[in-house]
Amino acid sequence: MATPAQSTLHAKVPAGRLQDKWDAYRDTVGLVSPANKRKHSILVIGTGLAGGSAAATLAGLGYQVTCFCIQDSARRAHSIAAQGGINAAKNYPNDGDTIWRLFYDTIKGGDYRSREANVYRLAQVSGNIIDQAVAQGVPFAREYGGLLANRSFGGAQVSRTFYARGQTGQQLLLGAYQALSHQIATGNVSMLPRREMLDLVVVNGHARGVITRNLVTGALERHLGDAVLLCTGGYGNAYYLSTNAQNSNVTAAWRCYKRGAYFANPCFTQIHPTCIPVSGGYQSKLTLMSESLRNDGRVWVPRDPEDRRAPAQIPEPDRDYYLERRYPSFGNLVPRDVASRAAKKECDAGRGVGTTRLAVYLDFADAVGRLGEQTVRERYGNLFEMYQRITGENPYKEPMRIYPAVHYTMGGLWVDYELQSSLRGLFVLGEANFSDHGANRLGASALMQGLADGYFVIPYTLGAYLSGARLDSSITTDHDAFVSAEREARERLHTLLSAQGDKTVTQYHRELGQLLWNHVGMSRNREGLEAAAAQIRALRQEFWERVRVPGDNDTYNKNLEFAGRVADFMELGELMARDALEREESCGGHFREEHQTAEGEALRNDQDYAHVTAWQYAGSETAPVQHQEPLVFETVQPTSRSYK
Amino acid sequence: MSSRTKHFFQALASPVGRKVLTGLTGLGLVLFVIVHMLGNLTYLQGGDAYNLYAHKLASYGVLLYILEVGLAAFFALHACIGISIYLRKRRARGGHYARYKTAGKPSLQTFASRTMIVSGIVLLVFLVLHLIHFKFGPGMAEGYVATIEGEQIRDLRRLMTEQFRSPLYAFGYPAVIILLGFHLRHGFWSALQSLSLTSPRLSSILYPAGALLGIVVGAGFIIVPLWIYFSQFS
Amino acid sequence: MAEQMTIHLRIWRQAGPDAPGRLVDYTVAGANEHMSFLELLDVLNEQLVHRGEEPVAFDSDCREGICGSCGVLVGGIAHGPQRRTAVCQLHMRSFKDGDRIVVEPFRARAFPLVKDLVVDRSAFDRIISAGGFISTTTGGAPDANALPVSKDAADEAMDYATCIGCGACVAACPNASASLFTAAKISHLALLPQGSVEASRRVVAMVRQMSEEGFGDCSNHTECEAVCPKGISIACIARMRREYVKAVLC
Repeated sequence: MATPAQSTLHAKVPAGRLQDKWDAYRDTVGLVSPANKRKHSILVIGTGLAGGSAAATLAGLGYQVTCFCIQDSARRAHSIAAQGGINAAKNYPNDGDTIWRLFYDTIKGGDYRSREANVYRLAQVSGNIIDQAVAQGVPFAREYGGLLANRSFGGAQVSRTFYARGQTGQQLLLGAYQALSHQIATGNVSMLPRREMLDLVVVNGHARGVITRNLVTGALERHLGDAVLLCTGGYGNAYYLSTNAQNSNVTAAWRCYKRGAYFANPCFTQIHPTCIPVSGGYQSKLTLMSESLRNDGRVWVPRDPEDRRAPAQIPEPDRDYYLERRYPSFGNLVPRDVASRAAKKECDAGRGVGTTRLAVYLDFADAVGRLGEQTVRERYGNLFEMYQRITGENPYKEPMRIYPAVHYTMGGLWVDYELQSSLRGLFVLGEANFSDHGANRLGASALMQGLADGYFVIPYTLGAYLSGARLDSSITTDHDAFVSAEREARERLHTLLSAQGDKTVTQYHRELGQLLWNHVGMSRNREGLEAAAAQIRALRQEFWERVRVPGDNDTYNKNLEFAGRVADFMELGELMARDALEREESCGGHFREEHQTAEGEALRNDQDYAHVTAWQYAGSETAPVQHQEPLVFETVQPTSRSYK
Repeated sequence: MSSRTKHFFQALASPVGRKVLTGLTGLGLVLFVIVHMLGNLTYLQGGDAYNLYAHKLASYGVLLYILEVGLAAFFALHACIGISIYLRKRRARGGHYARYKTAGKPSLQTFASRTMIVSGIVLLVFLVLHLIHFKFGPGMAEGYVATIEGEQIRDLRRLMTEQFRSPLYAFGYPAVIILLGFHLRHGFWSALQSLSLTSPRLSSILYPAGALLGIVVGAGFIIVPLWIYFSQFS
Repeated sequence: MAEQMTIHLRIWRQAGPDAPGRLVDYTVAGANEHMSFLELLDVLNEQLVHRGEEPVAFDSDCREGICGSCGVLVGGIAHGPQRRTAVCQLHMRSFKDGDRIVVEPFRARAFPLVKDLVVDRSAFDRIISAGGFISTTTGGAPDANALPVSKDAADEAMDYATCIGCGACVAACPNASASLFTAAKISHLALLPQGSVEASRRVVAMVRQMSEEGFGDCSNHTECEAVCPKGISIACIARMRREYVKAVLC
C-alpha cells in the first residue's frame, strides 16, 4: 500500500472532452496586450529546445526576455546531441497515424504514469512543430519528390518520425538558436552565456528572480523578473556515467525544489538500450547509438554462454535474437525500458559478449545484405563513423556491441497543465519537468516535448499567469530575498573551497554514480534501495568534510562548478532512492524486482500507484513531505503493456 | 555619392569584394604573363622576329596605352589588396602557435599558398626594375636601332641579349620567375575559387592545372635568358 | 586489457586574458587506446588536484562531437590528427607510447583567451545574430509539405548545417578567417526556398559582421575543410561569394 499523501495536487486540467481541452483553454485564457508585454521581463534559464524555443517565441511576442545558458554559447545546449528524430502526427506516409494514435502510443509507452491531458496536447501540437522547424530552415530528410521523409521508431507501428540524418536534435536546436539569435538582434532578448543559476528568488510566494554565477569571473549576479522559466534539462548525470553532457546537472531545478517547488517521480529514469559499453575507469561519458539503428539492426547474443567464437563465426542456429523471440510483434523495436531490461537479463544470465561480458550484439549484416552497404551508409553513416571512432571497430563488417546506459529522466519538477510548478511564477519546460512521459519516454518524443512546451504551450500559459498575477512592481534586486539568496550562494561556494580535503569532486561523483547505478538503476529492490539511501547520506556528509576543490571563486573554475553540482546530485540521489522505495510496483523504467510477472515483465499496480508522487522539501535533515496527484484516465483504459 | 554607389564600394572593400577583385585582377595578370611569355619566346625564332613582335605591339598606339594603363591598374590593385589581406591576417591571428602544422588532405596549404605575400612583393619590386631596364631603358636615342624593311625601330633584341649575358641577370631573372611559378601555382586556382568558378569536382582538375600553369609559364620565361647566357660561350 | 601508454604533454597555461602564458610539461602514465584525448586531460587534472596544483582549464560538454564546446590544437592541428573528428572523440589509439604532444588553445584575435585552453568564441554568435536565421514568428508557418525542396538541395543544405561552431576553421586558417563558419550558414539557408527570400540581406549582413569581428580574409588555403570535424567543404565559401556578388549587383 502506498503511504498516504499529505495532500492531493490539483493539476488545473480544463474540463471537457480530451480532444477539446486545449482549444477550450486557449479560448478562455487571459491575454496580455502587446503594449503590456513589453513591460514584463521574463527570465529563461537554459537554451535547449525548450528554453531556446520559449525565449525566441516570447521575445517575438514582445516580452523582454533575459536568457541564461551554462555553455559559452546558446547553441551548445545538450538537446543538440539528440540523434534519431522527432515524432509528429502528420500522417504523411498515410499509414494510419492520427493525433489520437500518437497520444495513445505515448501514454502507453509511458506505462500509464503520465497525465492524459498533457500528452494529448503534445500530440495535437506535434504537427505545428514540424511546420515551424521547416519554416526556420531545418533541413529534414526528404524524398526525391521534395516532400518530407519519415522513419519508424521504438514503441510505434507507424512511421511518424521526422529526422535530419542522425543529427535531428542538432538541427532543431540550431533552428531554435537561430530564432533566438534573431530576437537577440532585435534587442528583445538579452543573452547571458556562461552563467549558472545558483538560486531561485521567491518573494511573497512568487518566483521573482534568480541568482547566477558568471562562470568566467565568478561574480554572483541578481536578476529580477516577472516569471522564471526553468528549462535546464534532466538529471541523468547523477549516475556519473550517462549519455548526458558534462555540464548537464540538476542544480537549478534542485534550488527550486529547496525553495518550495515539488519534485515529481524522481525515480523515473530512462536507461537507453543502445549505447557503447563502458571500457574503463577513466571513462567520462557514455555514447548513445540512436534508437533508429534498431530499425535495421538485429539484437542478439550467443545461445551458449560458453560460446567465445567471433560473432561472424557463430552460425544462425547458435544465435538468440532474443527481442524478436520474446516480442514477435514489435521485435527489435520494443520500447527502451523493455529492450534495456532484456539486455540486462541476457548479460545477467552470462550470455553477454565482449571483454567485459556486459554487452549484446547489434548486427547489421542482414541490413547490408538486404539494402546494400550504400543505403545503410546513407541512413546511419555518421553513427557508424562515431562507433568506429570510439571503439576502433568497423560496424559494416562486425556487429556493434551495445549496452544500456542512463539517458533521460522522466521525473522532474512537478508542473500543472499550464507548466507552472507548485511555486507561482516558476514554469518548468522540457526534460526539467515531469509531465509528459510517465514512467518511460518513447524515442523521438523528447524533442517533440521540448519544442511543444517552448513554441506552443508557454506563450499561452505564461500570458494567463501574467494577466492574472498581481505582482508587486516596487520590488528591486535590493529586496531582502535577493540579498539573502546571494549571501547563501556565496557561503556555499566558500564552504566548498575551504574544505581542502583529500578527495576530488570526481571521486565523489563516481562513488555516487556507482551507488545509483547498482541500486537505483535498471533493476531495484527494497534492500538495495534502503542501503543506497543510507550510503548516499553518509557519502554526502563525508563530501563536505573531505572534498578538495582547487583554485578560487573569481576565475573559470570547473572543479568549483562541479563540486556544487555533485553536492546537489547527492541530495537528489537520496530522494531518488526514497521515491523508488515508495513506489511498490514496476512501471516503465522503474523495475522493482518484487513486482514482476512470472515471465519477468514489469507488474504495475494501478490500484495503489496510479498517481504522481511529488516531494516537498522540508529541510536538509528532515524527510521530505509527499504529495500525490492522482492520474485519472478518462479516455484510455490502462492495460498491461504488451509488445509481444 | 548616392547610397547605392556607397554600398557598392563598401561591398568591394568587404572580405568577399577584396577576394573577388584579387581574383579578377589575378586572372587578368595571368593572361598578361602568358602573352608576355609567348612574346619572349619569339626571341628563340632568331632574326627579327622578336623586334618585329615588339614593334607590332608598339604600333597599337593609343590602344597600347589604354592596355598599359589597365594593366598598371590591375597590378596596383592586386598588390594593394594582397598587402591589405596580409596585414589583416597578421592582426587577426594574435599570438603565434608554438607548434602548427597542416592537417594534410584536403588542405591545399602549401609552400606556395603560404608565401603569396613574399612572392608577390618580390614580383612587385622586380616589375619596377624590369620596367626601368626594358620599357624605360635605352632606346633609339641611345643607339639601339634595328632596321626592318627599311624602317628604323628600337632594337630590343640587342638590349635583351646584352642584359642577359650578365650572370646577375641571367640567374636573377629565373629566380624571380620561379617565385612567379609558385605564385601562379596557388594563385590560379585560388582566383577561380574566389570568383566561385570552381566546385569540388572541378577543383580536382583546376588545382593541378594551376601547378601545370606555373611550370609552363615559368619554363617559358626562364628558357630565353638561359639560352642567351649560355650561347655566348658557344 | 589494452596496453598502457605514457604520454608527454606540453600544455599552454595562462591564468587569465592578460596574464602571461607559457607551455608547461606534464607526463601522464597509464593512458590506453580506448581513452579519448579529453579523458587523458581528465586523468591529468585529477592528478593535479591531488598534488594541490590548479587543473588545466578546457571547454567540453557533450563529448560526442556535436556540441562544439571543445577544441584545442593537438600536435599543431586543430582537434588533432584524426580527420573529421572533434578532440572529444579523438582517441588515444591515434598516438603511441612515449609520444610528445603540444596542446594549445585556438588562437585568433577574435577569440580572446579566457584561461589555459579556453577561448571566447562569442564572435560566432554575433555573426549568426547578424543574419544567420530565417525571420519567422512562431505559429505562422505553412504546412511543412507546402513547399517541396529537392532532395539534392536539402542534402547539400544539411551538409552545411552540420557545422558545430567549434572554431577549428578559424584556429587552423593561416589567416584566422571565419569564412567557412559564415559561409556554411549562408549556404545552408540560401539553398532552401524558405531561406532564399532574405538571402541577399543575410549574406551582406553576415559578411559585414565577420569583418567587424576582426577575422582575417580567406586565402583559399582550404586548411579549414581539412580540420573541420564535420568535413564541411569550402564549396560553401564559393557559394557565399556568389551570393554576395548577386546581392550587390542585382
